[in-house]
Amino acid sequence: MISQYSGISPKGDLILLERLGEKLKGKSFLHINSTRAGGGVAEILQRMVPILVELGIDARWEVIEGDERFFDVTKKIHNAVQGNPEKITEDMWRHHYEINKKNAERINLDADAVLIHDPQPSPLIEFRKRGRWIWRCHIDVSHPVKEVCDYLLRYCRRYDAAVFSVAKFARAMGVDEFIIPPSIDPVSEKNREMSPDEINKTLDRFQIPADRPMLLQVSRFDRFKDPIGVIKAYRMVKKYNDCILVLAGSPATDDPEGEAVLKEVREFAADDPDIHILLLPPFSDRDINALQRAATIVIQKSLKEGFGLTVSEAMWKGKPVIGGAAGGIPLQIIHGATGFLVHSVEGLAFRIRQFLNNPEMVQRMGENGREHVRNNFLITRQIRDYLSVWYYLENKRALIEL
Amino acid sequence: MEEIRPFEFKQCVNLIKSTGLKARNLRELRERTAVVSGESIFHHTYQYFLKGRVLEYTNDFAHWAGESLEERALSEHLSNVDPYAFKNIEDLRMELLNVIDGYLKNFPEPREAMPGDEFYFNETVTLTSPLGIKAKNLAEFLIAIKYVDAAAIYYHFYEARVRLGVDDFSKWLEDSLDKKEVAERIRGIDPFMHSTEEIRKHIYEGIEEEVRTEMEAVGL
Repeated sequence: MISQYSGISPKGDLILLERLGEKLKGKSFLHINSTRAGGGVAEILQRMVPILVELGIDARWEVIEGDERFFDVTKKIHNAVQGNPEKITEDMWRHHYEINKKNAERINLDADAVLIHDPQPSPLIEFRKRGRWIWRCHIDVSHPVKEVCDYLLRYCRRYDAAVFSVAKFARAMGVDEFIIPPSIDPVSEKNREMSPDEINKTLDRFQIPADRPMLLQVSRFDRFKDPIGVIKAYRMVKKYNDCILVLAGSPATDDPEGEAVLKEVREFAADDPDIHILLLPPFSDRDINALQRAATIVIQKSLKEGFGLTVSEAMWKGKPVIGGAAGGIPLQIIHGATGFLVHSVEGLAFRIRQFLNNPEMVQRMGENGREHVRNNFLITRQIRDYLSVWYYLENKRALIEL
Repeated sequence: MEEIRPFEFKQCVNLIKSTGLKARNLRELRERTAVVSGESIFHHTYQYFLKGRVLEYTNDFAHWAGESLEERALSEHLSNVDPYAFKNIEDLRMELLNVIDGYLKNFPEPREAMPGDEFYFNETVTLTSPLGIKAKNLAEFLIAIKYVDAAAIYYHFYEARVRLGVDDFSKWLEDSLDKKEVAERIRGIDPFMHSTEEIRKHIYEGIEEEVRTEMEAVGL
């Protein structure tokens, strides 16, 4: 399995993975999250656990179980941690703890290292047997509801280390805190190489013409992704350059506003035949891959963003990306080198025109972007970093020679 | 005849560790820079080039002053601070503080960074490992330099200066191969004016020219 990445991931990362594998050989590494399928965490774990096993590490992945109330509570906690006003009562916290207690009785928590993903299973630390315990926070905790965050911190402070995706999500917790950005899997269905035939099939099915430059934004129909702003920018560009706009997104079933936003977008696009609004069902990875490969320029004009991995997905396909300076987007777009960061509709329109009038720039920034992703945002780097954190906790030295 | 010591290519990668400290404006930056760990100062200056950033700045402090505070003159002053010119981190820290103090004297009320755009003080855990590639002569070195990862170029060209005061490449070329001229050429590459890939290109071109000269000298 790891051989799939040779020739794709940096050689140095693969060598380091082998070395860390040798150092940690035979030790047990337990991952626990709250869902087996769906969502970025499960996606990465599905790929990561077999790679860890291949490296000689006794890796296991367990999923906590809970009733409907538990998941209602954890959804509220999740929203509150991301800044939505939510009230978690003492009774709800107790239920959160009790369900984790039941899971602790069911799951074998005995391991040399335990990585707990996100807030749902965080109380499991109370039932620690031994080993290094690391809390991995995948969500944006830069502006949490204070009371909820403080309550969660009671658990998180008991871990040996915490891991956040972006530096601004970290908080002074009194434990070692590491910054490990998320990653994309270059051999997955969403990112693998595709033949022109495969790409054309998708375009034909959605009746998207390939005769003009294509601007693409892939995202949920959510106000924070500013789809209306993208259409406004496209209209500004259209006065100077002929192009088409594709807005592709999954329906946001857990977001009551999703339907309203989609309606607004459709109304705003009116009857422009060059605007294509695609409502993709979940698991449309192949179509997303094809659209990203067919695009001339990829846009991610988010006003608020967790990490925004669609930026890395597009850059991996050699596309220059114009993104809003939100969440993890500035980590991925090196302004002026792999794309542009913009702060307004006008800024977006200007950068699109710059690209459309400069194919050499499109190619150069696209190539830079692919290299930037290769060096920083592939799954092999993320596994390398997790193992490095574990190895660091065993040695506690700032300089480690492997 | 004394055997030539081969050049062993190594790489280093950094794991970012948060200090939990952040600054929203220049006064806070000054305050925190005065007390933060030496490792954090090291990370935000010496390790700037590992991040593949635009070469408008030479360290994270200058980058933040320019991009987030939009204090252009300050970012120019900070970019002019050469970390390799100082004997230790404390002297470097003092120089950064002097530059900030000088600016605050003239412009006592600089703007605040936008929320989310604060300066976050980080440190690193550095992991080094050999790449399993050794070069015994110039020709082998030439091939290796073309294909090793950027993390290896960084380790031998930038990180080495902290360890040895000079880059590993020119040191080996001079000490082991007695190639003073090409060593001097590599030392002449300004570490602040190039990306890691450009550094690779300059080193490659320098070595390639030397190999060509050697071959011509023996009539090949």
